[in-house]
Amino acid sequence: MAFTHTSPKKNEGVVATATTPSFFFVLRRVSAWSGLIPFFLFLILFLFIPAVSVFSQALHDADGSFGFSAMREAISGQNLDAFIFSLKFSAGSAFVGVIFGGLLAYAAATATRPHWLRNIVSSFSGVAANMGGLPLAFAFLSLLGRQGLGTKILNAFGWDLYAGDFKLGEVSGLITVYSYFNIPLMVLVTLPAIDGLKTSWREACANLGGSAWTYWRRVGLPILAPSLLGGFLLLFANSFSAYATARQLTDNSKIVPLRISFFLGGDISIGEDAVGYSLAAWMIILMAFSMAAYWLLRRRAERWSNS
Amino acid sequence: MKQSRSQRALGRLLPTLVLIASAIFFAFPLLAMARFAFQNLQVIDLGWNNLFEKWSISSVTASFSDDFFAEAFTLSLKLAVGTALFTLGLLIPTAVWVHLRLPKARVFVEFLTILPYVIPAIALVAGIVVVKPHARWFLNSDYSLIPFYVVLALPFTYRSIDTGLRAIDLKVLVEASRSLGSTWIATLFRVVIPNLRAAIISSTFLTVAVVLGEYTISDVLLKRTFPSFMAQYRQSDPRGGYALAILALLGTTLLFVAIGVLSKSRSTRPQQVSRSQENEILV
Repeated sequence: MAFTHTSPKKNEGVVATATTPSFFFVLRRVSAWSGLIPFFLFLILFLFIPAVSVFSQALHDADGSFGFSAMREAISGQNLDAFIFSLKFSAGSAFVGVIFGGLLAYAAATATRPHWLRNIVSSFSGVAANMGGLPLAFAFLSLLGRQGLGTKILNAFGWDLYAGDFKLGEVSGLITVYSYFNIPLMVLVTLPAIDGLKTSWREACANLGGSAWTYWRRVGLPILAPSLLGGFLLLFANSFSAYATARQLTDNSKIVPLRISFFLGGDISIGEDAVGYSLAAWMIILMAFSMAAYWLLRRRAERWSNS
Repeated sequence: MKQSRSQRALGRLLPTLVLIASAIFFAFPLLAMARFAFQNLQVIDLGWNNLFEKWSISSVTASFSDDFFAEAFTLSLKLAVGTALFTLGLLIPTAVWVHLRLPKARVFVEFLTILPYVIPAIALVAGIVVVKPHARWFLNSDYSLIPFYVVLALPFTYRSIDTGLRAIDLKVLVEASRSLGSTWIATLFRVVIPNLRAAIISSTFLTVAVVLGEYTISDVLLKRTFPSFMAQYRQSDPRGGYALAILALLGTTLLFVAIGVLSKSRSTRPQQVSRSQENEILV
């Protein structure tokens, strides 16, 4: 195929061997990067400057000098409770998403009948994975709110949902609601990986005397592991940073994004202001770690899906 | 080692159960919301016996006639158009440049475009609040949201345009056009862009979906966009709020279905490599 000749690796080779490192070569390289100046300028203005300002505010002490007191305060007392609460429901809903999303992807990928099933599942996932925000919160309020229809149905079966400590704004409720976009997102992430599992591996395993259990424990799951783990991190980050849905479900200021907006909106003294920015700064740090790990795991996982 | 028939049936049972349970989990919230929105009954009275009674779209028409609806909706539409144009104007030249002149920067640029995941909307808006006193002339305007919405949509839009560029033999097309005496501008508008039609449309739809659903930034900055209106309107008229949410969902779903159809029609082209699927994945 002629197409493969334009792959980036080949081009690089041509450029590197055809030119010697001369003045013109340097000029050429500089002018090549100059085409990205508008894009870089845009990112600096509208992404980096806001992000850096968050950190610069977070790293101010009450007297205006550089210091870590606000950053420390953002992870102590009530703020620490908020972080623990957010970590709990984000990890919980990521876990639920990985299990059920993985199962659903497997079910859709291996089902032979009806033939449109797989398409439906993957198209629906494409829509539902992006369905955060207000409509999702409204939908669950009408299903599992105090007057919700689901609550009534469960009541009819003798299960009073609100007898315990269930609330849409508490851990169990948030896990349920966030599963609505986490499960489909997981389906999108794992479908290619499951397609990468070759039937020949399964047959080889069976020929060597392995059972289905052996296959999954020794072959299938180890190969899927980077995708599953990467999916977990992606879902975790996705849940942790969600604002719109949580905002409609509850006023619970134990949810970190809601807490940040609470600090941003209120008329609070300068000292406490910095705590809000520090919360945002910690959040960026947490997101950076999970997305970096996700990025690495995705590279690892692509090894099997590219062949 | 031969699997017995019952074992195999058991092996199919779990996936089937998962599919059925998922169908229930994903359908019920929407159905419940539809009843809340379109049945002209007290929420407390909704039950099995009146499942088919008093369905009406009066809640929708009532919300449409609210004074602030038109204002909020037109603002969101304007923002969507502005964001889509800004996105295309910024990303097409950048992506084309990366493909033609700087292929080794590809991974780096792709990495930059997923940074909005690292700096989520709520953290971005915290930064905007910090900067605000220094740029009031800009940030006081409602249209100042446009560049930030471009940032939020960046992971989706850049990927879509990048996938479109991978599917065509850009270098050959551009060289042919240039050697036939065309200028760079003419090449861009008459060769590159027509070949990217599907990618441009799907990235535009993605942008529109993002803008019409964005709530975080507009809520914190107290801008009166459509989602903010929806949240506020539900306080006074819950049924109308739910109805608006359903309409918003329908709109977004249509956009995504259109994107799916477009990416499928693209993938039937012979040059398309296995990356077509990737378009749907966010990161």
